[in-house]
Amino acid sequence: MSKKLETELYKAATLTFEELGFLLPTPEIDEQQLNAQVEAAVSVDFDGPFAGKLLVRLCGGLLPIIAANMLGEEDAPSKSLQYDALGEIANVICGNMLPGIAGSEDVFHVSAPKMAESTDLPPVAEVQVGLGLGRADLLLFVSRYPALAEE
Amino acid sequence: MALNILVVDDSSVMRAIIIKTLHLSQLPMGEVHEAANGQEALKVIDGNWIDLALVDINMPVMDGEEMINRLRQNPATSDLPIIIVSTEGSESRKEVLMRKGARFVHKPFTPETLRDAILRTLGGLDEQKAGDGTI
Repeated sequence: MSKKLETELYKAATLTFEELGFLLPTPEIDEQQLNAQVEAAVSVDFDGPFAGKLLVRLCGGLLPIIAANMLGEEDAPSKSLQYDALGEIANVICGNMLPGIAGSEDVFHVSAPKMAESTDLPPVAEVQVGLGLGRADLLLFVSRYPALAEE
Repeated sequence: MALNILVVDDSSVMRAIIIKTLHLSQLPMGEVHEAANGQEALKVIDGNWIDLALVDINMPVMDGEEMINRLRQNPATSDLPIIIVSTEGSESRKEVLMRKGARFVHKPFTPETLRDAILRTLGGLDEQKAGDGTI
């Protein structure tokens, strides 16, 4: 695993959960957060100087909370809107992470979010973010230019 | 004068966030239109008077850059005020879009950032008072 990639992924994730999802990441992950069950996962593909996929998994009942926060509503919105909210979270994390890794000159195309697809590739970076009673797992896969993982 | 605003983003949640922010901004709001991609947006613009378009970049069917290119090529829409609301991190791509007369708001944004960008785009806020998060 690359420390630089994990640092950039964590920075982008915490910024996005704070400013878009209105959830403050906890400094450490406790046992309850660690044991929280996966409830939803989406992924976004990106292509540019290197290509890959960012997968975001939410665990522990966070999906309706984040969606309601994003929309400024008291009650949880429909499942469809909840997944759309998670997709936008993944999109914003990916868009904010890539310049941190590649620099601010390279152009990347980020595809629309979709239900998470499995991949045979091992992740080049993997981070967990504690949020309330649950957590988010973020896994970065690179399908081209795998030497990035060695940086 | 009430503003007719078009919000173009493939995420319905992001469109809802932007529209909620617009309503909280105390701008004189007229009609708010939505489109999920550039192609839909061009159809909306073709059939409605729009004062300002808020446009994402990465969208399926037709992305925001292509949509802006088409608007600028059409004499009827070449001066339409446009704010790009995107995660785009490439400075070179942002410069290309700004040369086409678009302002840029980076996601995630605060309501104040978006409101200030709208005011500056429409000439209601001094450039020197610009907050962060916009170009």
